[in-house]
Amino acid sequence: MSDRSPTGSGDGRAETFYPGPSGGPLAAFPPKERWDDWAELDSRAWPRRVERRCMLVPTTCFNCESACGLLAYVDRETMEIRRFEGNPEHPGSRGRNCAKGPATLNQIQDPDRILYPLRRTGARGAGGWERISWDDALNLIAERIGKALRESRQHEIMYHVGRPGEDGFTERMLAAWGVDGHNSHTNICSSSARAGYQFWMGIDRPSPDHARADVIFLVSAHLETGHYFNPHAQRIMEAKQRGAKLVVLDTRLSNTATHADHWLAPQPGSEAAIHLAIANHLIRNDLYDVAFVERWWNWKEYLRAEHPGRPETFEAFREVLRELYADSTFEHAAAESGIDADVLREVADLVASAGPRLATHNWRSAASGNEGGWQVSRTLFLLNALLGAIAVPGGTYPNAWNKFVAKPIRMPHRHPSHWNELSWPVEYPLAQNELSFLLPHLMKERGGKIDVYFTRVYNPVWTNPDGFSWIEMLSDEERVGLHVALTPTWNETATFADLVLPMGHASERHDIHSYETYDGQWIGFRQPVLRAARERRGETITDTRQVNPGEVWEENEFWLELSWRMDPDGTLGVREFVESVERPGERLTVDEYYGYIFEHSVPGLPEKAAAEGLTPLRYMRRYGAFEVAKNVGPLHEKEVPAEELVDAVEDDFGRVLTRAPKPPPLNIAPTGAPGGDAEGRRHAGVRVDGKVLRGFPTPSGKLEFWSSTLAGWGWRDAAVPLCLPSHVAPAAMAPDEMVLISTFRVPVQIHTRSANSKWLDEIAHTNPLWIHPRDAAPKGIRTGDLTRVETEIGHYVVRAWVTEGIRPGTVACSHHMGRWRTREQQQSQRQAMATVSLSREGNRWKLARESGVTPFDSPDPDTRRIWWTDVGVHQNLTFPVHPDPVSGMHCWHQAVRVRKAEPGDAYGDIVVDTAKSHEVYRRWLAKTRSAAGHSPDGTRRPDWLMRPVKPVPAAYRLPGRQG
Amino acid sequence: MLPSPSAPGPVRQWAKLIDNQACIGCHACTTACKSENEVPLSVTRTYVKYVDVGTFPNARRAFQVTRCNQCADPPCTHACPTAAMYRRGDGIVDFDKSVCIGCKACIAACPYDAIFINPQDHSAEKCNFCAHRIDRGLEPACVVVCPTQAILVGDLGDPEAKVTRMVNRHAVQVRRPEKDTRPKLFYRGAHQTTLDPLAATRPEGGLFLWSEQSGDVVSGHPAPRNGAAAPGDGAAGGDRAGGGAAAAGAHGAGPNSSAAAMLAYDVAHHAPWDWRVSLYTLTKSVAAGAYLVPALLLLLGALSPGSALWTWGAPALGAAFLGITGVILIADLEHPGRFALIFLRPQWRSWLVRGAFVIAGYGAVLALHAGAAAAARPDLLGTLRWAGIPLAAFTSVYTAYLFAQAKARDLWQSPLLPPHLLVQAVAAGAAALLPVAAAVEPGAVPALARTLAAAAGAHLLLVAGELTLTHATAHARLAVHEMTRGRFRNPFRLGVAAMAVAAAAPALGAWAAPFALLGLFAYEHAYVQAGQAVPLA
Repeated sequence: MSDRSPTGSGDGRAETFYPGPSGGPLAAFPPKERWDDWAELDSRAWPRRVERRCMLVPTTCFNCESACGLLAYVDRETMEIRRFEGNPEHPGSRGRNCAKGPATLNQIQDPDRILYPLRRTGARGAGGWERISWDDALNLIAERIGKALRESRQHEIMYHVGRPGEDGFTERMLAAWGVDGHNSHTNICSSSARAGYQFWMGIDRPSPDHARADVIFLVSAHLETGHYFNPHAQRIMEAKQRGAKLVVLDTRLSNTATHADHWLAPQPGSEAAIHLAIANHLIRNDLYDVAFVERWWNWKEYLRAEHPGRPETFEAFREVLRELYADSTFEHAAAESGIDADVLREVADLVASAGPRLATHNWRSAASGNEGGWQVSRTLFLLNALLGAIAVPGGTYPNAWNKFVAKPIRMPHRHPSHWNELSWPVEYPLAQNELSFLLPHLMKERGGKIDVYFTRVYNPVWTNPDGFSWIEMLSDEERVGLHVALTPTWNETATFADLVLPMGHASERHDIHSYETYDGQWIGFRQPVLRAARERRGETITDTRQVNPGEVWEENEFWLELSWRMDPDGTLGVREFVESVERPGERLTVDEYYGYIFEHSVPGLPEKAAAEGLTPLRYMRRYGAFEVAKNVGPLHEKEVPAEELVDAVEDDFGRVLTRAPKPPPLNIAPTGAPGGDAEGRRHAGVRVDGKVLRGFPTPSGKLEFWSSTLAGWGWRDAAVPLCLPSHVAPAAMAPDEMVLISTFRVPVQIHTRSANSKWLDEIAHTNPLWIHPRDAAPKGIRTGDLTRVETEIGHYVVRAWVTEGIRPGTVACSHHMGRWRTREQQQSQRQAMATVSLSREGNRWKLARESGVTPFDSPDPDTRRIWWTDVGVHQNLTFPVHPDPVSGMHCWHQAVRVRKAEPGDAYGDIVVDTAKSHEVYRRWLAKTRSAAGHSPDGTRRPDWLMRPVKPVPAAYRLPGRQG
Repeated sequence: MLPSPSAPGPVRQWAKLIDNQACIGCHACTTACKSENEVPLSVTRTYVKYVDVGTFPNARRAFQVTRCNQCADPPCTHACPTAAMYRRGDGIVDFDKSVCIGCKACIAACPYDAIFINPQDHSAEKCNFCAHRIDRGLEPACVVVCPTQAILVGDLGDPEAKVTRMVNRHAVQVRRPEKDTRPKLFYRGAHQTTLDPLAATRPEGGLFLWSEQSGDVVSGHPAPRNGAAAPGDGAAGGDRAGGGAAAAGAHGAGPNSSAAAMLAYDVAHHAPWDWRVSLYTLTKSVAAGAYLVPALLLLLGALSPGSALWTWGAPALGAAFLGITGVILIADLEHPGRFALIFLRPQWRSWLVRGAFVIAGYGAVLALHAGAAAAARPDLLGTLRWAGIPLAAFTSVYTAYLFAQAKARDLWQSPLLPPHLLVQAVAAGAAALLPVAAAVEPGAVPALARTLAAAAGAHLLLVAGELTLTHATAHARLAVHEMTRGRFRNPFRLGVAAMAVAAAAPALGAWAAPFALLGLFAYEHAYVQAGQAVPLA
C-alpha cells in the first residue's frame, strides 16, 4: 500500500505524484491539483499532438458490489465523458479496476439504453410501450402508494432490490413510509454464507485481511469475481508475492484456482467435511490457540446446555471438542470429497502453520450451492476461531468493523407495524434474508397481493430460479397491481412491468457506500459526474436529470420526490423525513442529504475537507472517497467504559446488561442486535478475564461455537459447526445423475447489469456446459455438441465444453449468459439478447430461440461490427426453488441428467413444467421447522437477528400468541 | 511535477514486463486499452490468451497478456513502405496513421500477429505503449488499471528501474525469440503452452471457454492433443467424422508441446493478404513473362527479331498485365488514394517499395519498347532488352523477397521461392502468349508450347521440392499441411492437376494456356493462404 501513497501535496509548491506499480518517473494519474484542467494528448490523433482538456471527476463503479473508485475524464469542450479510469484517492480499489470499470463507458453510451419513462400500451408482457412524463409516472405511483398507506395496506407495497449499490438511503425511505416492504436478492446470492458467519459472531460477512495473511483459504473465486473482487484480488496477489500460500476450494478450475498452491476440487457438498477434518487436525494435535478459545468461545453455555453431566471447565470442553470431531478424519473427508487424504493433511498443516495469520473467505460457492451450505462458512470460520485468527493482522475481521455506514439526516424513528409474510414466511424464522425467490409460490399458495411492486436493478424473471413461475405471477394483474421497474437498461423482468423508469449508471446518480476490503473503514461517493463537473464551472444544478442523457434520473431524487408527492399535507407522517431541515417547507435535496452526512456523520471528514478549503460535500465531490479509519483492530477486546455500566447485571456466562443509554453511533453498519432484559436494560458487553468487554453482537456476547438461537428454534441437531447432508450428495442422487454447478461467474460479466457493454460482451458471450472427458466420452459428447440438461422440472439444450477443469461427475454452466427478448418486445439489448418465442400450454412452458445477435445500425459504428452471434442459454428457468430450511438460501446446485441432444432439440431450447416446480417447492417447504411449531417465545423470528426495516416488537408475535 | 518527455536527460529505452505470477486473467487491460485508444470491436491491441493445461485434478489455466512486443529489431518497420510504422528514439515502435497506405505488409511481417487494420480509419495499428500517455508522464492505461500490478513499464537504460531489475534478476521469457526481433516485452513465469502458438490444441466445435471462435485464422494447433487420443477428445469421437477439415490428426504432427494443453480463450486473427495477393502474383508473372519469354526465345533463336510477338505482343501484353497488377495492388490497399506515398516517402528497406520501383522501371522499358516499335526502330529493341530482361526477371522475383520480409510466415522463408517465381513467370508468359501466337503468329506456337511445358515441369518439380524438403519449423510444417491436406487442399490439388495438364502443351497447343493460368493461380492461392494459416499468437 505504501508504495502507492501519493507524494507531494497541495501545499502550493509540489504537485501530487501518484506513483504507479512500475516505480520510476511515470505517474499513474495526473496530479490532483490539475484535475480541473488536465491537458491530455488525443490517442486517435497520435502522433500529432492534439491536446484535449479534461476535467477529472470521481465516481464509483456500479457493476459488481465492490464499489471501486472511478475517475471520469470529462471533455471540457464537449462536456462529455471521454472515459473512466480508477480513482487513486479510493482506499479500497487504490486506482485499479477490473475489466468492468472502463466498460462503464459502454453502458452510458449504450444505444439501446432506456432514455425516457415508459408505460406499457397493451397487455402486460405484450411488449408495447409509450413514453410518458416523469410527472405522470410520479403522480400515478404516489397516489397509489398514498392510498394504500391510508387504507392500512402497508403490506401491499414492496420494493425488491437486486444490486443495492448503496448504504442506507432506501431503507431510510421505507422506514419513512412505515412499510415492511424491503425485499432483496440476497437469498439467491450469499445468504447461506452470511448465516454461517452470523451464527458465529452476530455479523454476517467476513473481512479477510489478505494482504497481511500467511495463508489465504478461499471457498470462493476472488481472483475473478465476488464481494469484493478487485480490492481483494489485489491484496491476495500482494500477499502471494510476499510468500503467502493460497488454498482454493472450487469444484471447477477457476482463474483463482489456477493461482492456488493447493487447488482442492471437492465433490460438491463435501466442503464442510474438509473444513472439519482440518479442524480436527488442529484440535487433536493441540495446534489451536487455546487461550483465545477459552476467552472468546461460549463453551460454558454449550457445556451446560448439551453436556450437563460434565464439569463446566475449559478442560472438559476441550475433551468434548476432541470427541465431537474425532470422526472428522482426513480419510473420512477424502471419501466424501474425492480428494486424496494426503493432500488434505498437507493443507491442514499449512493452515496450522498460519496461526492467527489465516485469512478465510466463503462467498457464494459451496455455501450457495448446497442444502446446509450455511455450515460451509460456519465450519470455515471455525478454523479462524480455533487459531485466534479473528480481528488480528492477517486474520479475518467481522465485516461491520471494516465498514462505515454513516448515519443519515433525520433518521426515521418509525418501525412498520405489520409483518410481511410474503417476504418473511413463518416457516423460515432463521432466514438470513427475505425469501424473495419464493414469492410466486407464496402468492399462489397464500393468496397474496402486491399493490405496488418495485423491481430495482433486479431481474427475477431471468436471475431467479423458476423464472416461468415469476412470469405467471407478474402477468397476473390481480396479484401484482402496479409493477414499476427501475432500471438503466432493458431486462426480461421489465417486459412484465407497467412502468419502466430509467435510472442512471455509475456516473449518473448519487449513492454512498462502504465495503470491507481491509482492516480499515472508508466511504465511497457515487455522483452524477456531469453535475459535479458543471458545478465546478460555477453552474447550479438542482436535478440530476439536467445533466443525464434523455430523461434518465437517479433513485435518490426519485424517492425523495415520490415521498414528497405521496404525503402533500404530512398526514401520513412521511413528509417530515423528506423535508429540508435548512429550508422548512421545501423538499430535501441530495445536496442537503449528503452534505449533512459528510458534515455530521463521518469523523475526520470535515477536518480533512477544511484543510483543503472545501466543505465536506465539495471534498467528496472532488475526491469521491474518504478513509474514515485505518487499523481498526479487535473491537471485541475494547473495554466498556464504566459510565456505560449503570445498574448493570451479569448472567452466569458473563454477559452484561446495563441501564445506561446507548451512545448514539455514527456508524450504523448492520450487525446483530442482542436484546436486553424485561426491566429495560440493554446489551452492553461481556465479562472476560474480569473485564467487561464489547464482545460480539451475539446473544452471548461471545463467539458462538454453539448457537443458542439454532438450538432454541428447532435446530439443536445443527447448533455447532458440522457438515449437513447436501441435496446433491452422491447418496441423494440417482446413479445416472450429475451435479450441475450453475452459479459461477466469468470475470468480465456481472449478472444482467453488464449486458450491452460491448467490450465485455465481445470477450464473453456464451456459456457452454463444462463436462469432464471421462463423463463426455461415454455419452458421445464432444466440445460444441448440442447437449440436453434435464432438471427436476424441465430441460435446456446447450453446447458442451469438454474440459479437464472440472471434477468428473460434475458439470458446470456459467449463469451470466442466456439473455432473451420476445419478438413482440420493442425494447431489447441487441448485443446480448437472443430473440425467442415464448409459448405455454397449461403449466408447460417452452422458450425457443429464433435468432441470436446480429450487427445493427446505431450512432455507434461498432454495432455494425458485432461478430458474435451466440448469447448462451438461460439455464435458471429450468431450476426449481430449493430454499434451505435454515438460512432460506436458494441452494443452487442441481441434480441433472446430461446427454446428447435428441433429434428435434435445438440450441437454446428450454422446456419447463411450472406445476412440477410448485411440487418441488412443497417438498422443500416440508423440510422446514416452522416458527409456529418451534418458536421458543411465541415470536416469528429471533429479534436479535438482522433484518432490514425491523417492524415493531408486536409485529414479531405469532398470530394467536400473545407475548 | 510530471516529467516532460522533451526535458533534457538520458534517452530512455522503454520496456514492459508482464508478471504471469500475478496476472489473474481478468481482461482489465483489454478494456482499459479499448477505452484509452478507442479500439473498435473485432480488433484488439492487447488481449489475454487462456490455455488450460494438465489433467484433473492437476490442471491450471495459463494466462498470457498478448500484444506488440516492441521489438528492438522490428520486422514491421522494415516491411512498412512509408515508415508509417517506425521506431522512436526511446525504443517505442509507434505508427503514423496518416501515412499508412494499408498494404498490410507490417501485419504479414509481425511474428506476433500484433498489428491490425482499424476498421474505422483503415490504417494499421497496435500497442504503442500508450506513447501519448508516456509523453505526458503517465504510465500506459493497462499498467494503471491492472488490479494485481502484473504489467510494469520501465526504462531498460536505468539499472535501478523495477523492470530492469526484474529482467536482470528473474527468469524471464519472450515470445518467439527465434525470430531475431529482440522483444522488449518480457514475461515472468510464462508457460510454454501460451508462448508457443502451436503448443495448445485448438478446441473443436467453434467454441472457447465462454466465447465463439472467430476470424479466418483460429489460434491453437488444429490437431488433436499430442497427436493421440487424449481422454475424451479423440476417444469420444469414434462415431463421428473428424469435425471438419481442421481436425488434422492424420498427418501425424501434433501440438508443439508434450503437456496436455487446450486453448481456452483467444481473439480473432486474420490472414492479412487475400486472393488479391495471389491474383497479383499471377498477373505480375504474366506481365514479366510476356516480355521475358519472347526475349529468351529470341536469344535462343527460336523467334525472329521481326516477330510480332516480340515487337508488339510482348509490350502490349506485358503493359496490360502490369496495369492490371497495379490496379489489383492498389485495390488491395486499405488507402488506395495514398498509393503514391510509396514513391513520395519510400522506406527503402521495404520490398514493397523496391518492388514498386522495379515495376516502374520495367514499365518504363515496356513503354520505350512500344515507342521504339512504333518508330520502327527494331535496333533499339535489341539494346533495350539488356535492361528489360533483368527488370522483367526482377519484377517476377522480388515478390519472393517481399514474402520473405513477412518474417512471421515460415513457409515463405524458402530459398526455392525466387527461382520458383521466375519459373512461374516463364510459364505464365508462355501461357498468355500462346493464344496470341495462335492468332497472329502460329509459327511461334510450338516454341511457346515447349517453353510452357518445360516451365510447368519445373514448377511441379519445385512444388515437389517445397513439399518434400524437411521444414525446419513446426510452423512451416503446419503450413504445408494446411496447403496439401488441410484447409487449402482443394486449390492446391487443382493447381497441381492443372499444371500437369499444361505440361502437355506441345500436344494441346493454345488450349494449354487456360490450364496453366488457372493452375498457377490456384497453386499461388493455396501457397499464399497456407502461409498465413498458421496461428502466430
